[in-house]
Amino acid sequence: MSQDDDELELQAIERQLEDAFQTTRPRPDFEDELWLRVQSSRPAPRRFRDAMSAFWNGVREVPAVPATATALVLIVAIGVGVVALNGLGHGGGGASTSAVERAGAPAAGQYLAGNFGKLPSPVFRGAPKSTTPGANVSAQQGIDYAGPVQLAWTGTLDVHLTTAPVFRYREPSSTEADQFASALGAVLRGRPSGFLGMYAAADYTLKIRGTVTSPPSSPAYFIFSGLNLQPIDAAGGPQDLADVFLAQHSLQPQWQYTVGVDSSGDPVKVVYQRQFDVPGYGPAYVIDFNANRYGLEVDLSGNRPVLASGVLPLSLDIANYNVISSADAIRAAAGSSAPSADAAVPVAQLDHAELVYVLVPAGDHSFYEPAFLFTGKVQAGGQSYTKHVLVPAVDPVQRNP
Amino acid sequence: MEADRPAFEDLYRDYMGRIYAYVRAQVGSAADAEDVTSQVFMNAYQAYARFETRNSTPAAWLFRIARNATLDHFRAGKRRDRLRRTIEREPQAEEDPAGQAEERIQYRALLARVADLPERQRDAISLRHSGLSFDEVGSLLGCSEDAAKMLYHRALKALREAVHKEQA
Repeated sequence: MSQDDDELELQAIERQLEDAFQTTRPRPDFEDELWLRVQSSRPAPRRFRDAMSAFWNGVREVPAVPATATALVLIVAIGVGVVALNGLGHGGGGASTSAVERAGAPAAGQYLAGNFGKLPSPVFRGAPKSTTPGANVSAQQGIDYAGPVQLAWTGTLDVHLTTAPVFRYREPSSTEADQFASALGAVLRGRPSGFLGMYAAADYTLKIRGTVTSPPSSPAYFIFSGLNLQPIDAAGGPQDLADVFLAQHSLQPQWQYTVGVDSSGDPVKVVYQRQFDVPGYGPAYVIDFNANRYGLEVDLSGNRPVLASGVLPLSLDIANYNVISSADAIRAAAGSSAPSADAAVPVAQLDHAELVYVLVPAGDHSFYEPAFLFTGKVQAGGQSYTKHVLVPAVDPVQRNP
Repeated sequence: MEADRPAFEDLYRDYMGRIYAYVRAQVGSAADAEDVTSQVFMNAYQAYARFETRNSTPAAWLFRIARNATLDHFRAGKRRDRLRRTIEREPQAEEDPAGQAEERIQYRALLARVADLPERQRDAISLRHSGLSFDEVGSLLGCSEDAAKMLYHRALKALREAVHKEQA
């Protein structure tokens, strides 16, 4: 080989090296995962990725079997959120009427039952698809008992509804995500895979994601605080601090909610649990595929917010649909029991039921549909488990199987 | 804080990818690279209050931390495992879709060869292609700028030989 060839060959390797180092980057979420960790200033685990993977799966495509340990404690409700009724932007009213008016639908009280056409049925991972009218599906949860079980209803379900509202939203575009970010004062930095956009503000980074089909997860935003985001200087408990943070960033929920605080770990989680108002029933929680109530969440490390997340505010259309009776719901729940011939099958005592809303992704438009959530306890292997059973509330005639 | 010292967040956003690539070229697996990169920035965050720009550029400071973290990683025995796997030609486990995605990285094989170079050669290549000047590389490796250039050149040749052997 001549000296020239020799030199050319070395230059070629240099170019390859240059490209190799330029193109070698961690998976897209690693940057934000690590940033969260740095902010919390806690020792990095030996397998940092393992510790965070459940959360980030949740962000991208909420995990099929949710992790229950650290990652879950860290940010359970990140992959979920709430669709506000008041459309994009902040400070608008939460009245469903205004949302309907924007959508060109009839005013409240004048809905025709089922004017979205036949609805898609809720599908829960790991549960058999509903094939018969009123057939139930089981919600998945980390602490839920997943084995075969006999179901016995011992509670009281006294719901007298003939119709209930179904909410529909159009899948958000990157333009809508940009508008949301712009309203917060954040500037577009890119569109990483799996997200509508990533944005930078003075003291935080914002990411926005569309609907995740499986397991169902709402369009959501995620705010990762920067180091220059100051601790909240306010008296009070975690909820007070979260309230202040949300007010400072014009992110207060514009919908009905209750607040849950999980102080069992660091960060402390303040969850604003979204409710839809159902005429003749009252407020009904929105739950995720784990049967957890969700909405907007603020995670606090001390008095410093490290993360806030919620569903991207979107306009909702509303239509009333006929619903099954309480008695039918109970029959459907109990009907999902394992064959009674097997004596080894434990019995779950379902003693609580409530009307809830679940997300049903359906392409360009997705729905929040009513369902009956039955909850109880089951003893198996010397341990006590929770058992959830979810029964779609919309009349099967108005649903696709 | 010094007036000319960048915000740590800026440093993080600017260098995280490059530090990862540097570490990745050293340790040879994405999972280990994430561990070490995590440690680098945890250490850097803790030490940032003591960082003085008059003594070092932010890049040189960060890569020094990265180099130390990588050496600590090897001391912990990970490199022995990696070498064993290489010798035995065992595939390294890729635990998740992120690992599978990394299979798509075009130059993975080349970085694997870099990882197999002797330590100082590996460092010279990795630091140089992470954007450091030869002066900074020399400073990190405890030698002059000229010595760093020579070391880098020897490393390139060694890499070429490795490529030839692979192709033979």
